[in-house]
Amino acid sequence: MQIKPILAALRHHKAGTLLIAAQIALTLAIVCNALFIIHARLVRLHQPSGIDEASLLVIGNQWAGKPGSDQMASLMAADLDTLRKVPGVANVYATNTFPLGNGGMALGVSHSPDKLKSVTTSGIYFADENALATLGLKLVEGRNFRPDEIGQLDRQGYVKPDVVIITRALAALMFPQRSAIGQPIYISAKPSIVIGIVDELRTPWVDTSFAKWADYSTLIPYRELTPIVQYIVRVQPGQLDEVMHRVRAALYAANRLRVISPKDGVRSFAQVREQAYRDDRGMAILMSGISVILLLITGAGIVGLTSFWVGQRRKQIGVRRALGATRHDILSYFLTENLLIAVGGVVLGGVLAIGLNLWLMKQFELDRLAPGYLLAGVVTLLLLGQGAVLAPALRASRVPPVEATRSI
Amino acid sequence: MLKMTHLSKVYRTEVVETYALRDFNIDVKEGEFVAVTGPSGSGKTTFLTIAGLLETFTGGEYHLDNIEVSNLDDNARSKIRNEKIGFIFQAFNLIPDLNVFDNVEVPLRYRGMKAPERKERIMGALERVGLASRAKHYPAELSGGQQQRVAIARALAGSPRLLLADEPTGNLDTQMARGVLELLEEIHREGATIVMVTHDPELAARAQRNVHIIDGQVVDLAEDPRFHTAYTAAAGQVRG
Repeated sequence: MQIKPILAALRHHKAGTLLIAAQIALTLAIVCNALFIIHARLVRLHQPSGIDEASLLVIGNQWAGKPGSDQMASLMAADLDTLRKVPGVANVYATNTFPLGNGGMALGVSHSPDKLKSVTTSGIYFADENALATLGLKLVEGRNFRPDEIGQLDRQGYVKPDVVIITRALAALMFPQRSAIGQPIYISAKPSIVIGIVDELRTPWVDTSFAKWADYSTLIPYRELTPIVQYIVRVQPGQLDEVMHRVRAALYAANRLRVISPKDGVRSFAQVREQAYRDDRGMAILMSGISVILLLITGAGIVGLTSFWVGQRRKQIGVRRALGATRHDILSYFLTENLLIAVGGVVLGGVLAIGLNLWLMKQFELDRLAPGYLLAGVVTLLLLGQGAVLAPALRASRVPPVEATRSI
Repeated sequence: MLKMTHLSKVYRTEVVETYALRDFNIDVKEGEFVAVTGPSGSGKTTFLTIAGLLETFTGGEYHLDNIEVSNLDDNARSKIRNEKIGFIFQAFNLIPDLNVFDNVEVPLRYRGMKAPERKERIMGALERVGLASRAKHYPAELSGGQQQRVAIARALAGSPRLLLADEPTGNLDTQMARGVLELLEEIHREGATIVMVTHDPELAARAQRNVHIIDGQVVDLAEDPRFHTAYTAAAGQVRG
């Protein structure tokens, strides 16, 4: 190997060498953190909500004319009847929110009425006896709500359910040593008995700041009597698109005193998911764009500097060829030279990447950078360097040995 | 050692063919010190670049150390340059980024020689040219004469069969030129085969044999009436 003389020669080209190494270092630091963030965002895009999204529609309904609570209860019951009769509808229930809805109610859950002693926060879903079947939730222990347990809650009312259904994760947190079924939990001053445990149901929020308790959901047996209600509709297989059109017409035919937004009043869960993660997708695209641009700039920098060096050292290359260097020797000289600079760059870049990640962790509650990303970044930069240097290095290898005898 | 028979070198453009060498014949025996002289543009340097396998030729035959080189590929030519030929250039052609030791080491590295042997040969060659104490110096820190001595050490370190020198004293003042020439004579006395291209009649006179090139051909100045006057004048200068 020619490492020693290459290093010796690089000492005479400090400015260019340091510039490229610094560029590689910065690119590595930014790109591997960006890759990490992009991957985290992409993972989130596909994070399961726990419900059977492919078969579900959500209808956002707003009553017109400020109906009273009693009136809303009968209007809601009528709507649920109407929806059940729509061809292709398998089940339906009314609720305050839904997974990926990015809004709703969250309450502290504790073993006693003392709110200050809550074990965790839980996302609260209003549900009835049809909720589990509609959402496609798997009841792993206990039972479903009975129709006689479903209460009604107007704006002035307080949530104080007698019974609740909670997720397996919440049950394990609250009762790690025993079954949660039959145990009281407190989301209000009154105990609520756990009657059922469902396998998985994420809370409505997708923001990472809610991630700590994203698996801790509680279903409470209530219908909310507010002017805005969400109907969750389960459709029969393969009928999603048809049902989406039918439900709006059916509801307006039953009662015109309502608003269902023409834009997003009826949404499939694919649309709900797309809207929920729009910011994440945008961030991933932005980060990808920045990473690609940075890599291109670094690649262009390497091509530029190496081309300059090849031009500058044309005579020297000719001398080396005259002294017995093969084309391959010249090619490997420039590839090795670039590799040495790039290795220096990635070592510095690795330190910078970890530093940047620590700063991001502190500022934006980002996770610790997984070593795989650093490794991927290092490999990418080294390959980029070798790829970028290849064309000028090949040009150098074609410098003929007779160049040694030319005066300029 | 070096035998060219009916060798030609033609540079072609779209409109014109230029013969740099035409029906060129030369035979340099092992251990000879041959000076190649001739006016500018006569083909001296072309001869040297072809002799050193730095360039290919168009026609004829060239045997170097009993190897017919016309059909060799680039790698084989590189290997022969590395193992059999030592170059001394007019402009020294040292690599400015490398110190004296590393400069002399360049051809030995391409030979794949182990480090201890390289070191031994480098220091031997530097001692031979009287520059062992300057091993860590860079070319810019040396005089022209010293740089050329380093170049000679670089050429000698690989123990080549043939030394090719292109105007080795062309960039040196008289005193330095004399030193370099004495060194070449010493190397020749030790058995090396040297082919030296030069403009300098005094330098040429110090060689064992002179070969004159005019218009791409070897001519015998004494025999050719076209050049008789010029040759006599040149010889007179040398003798004077």
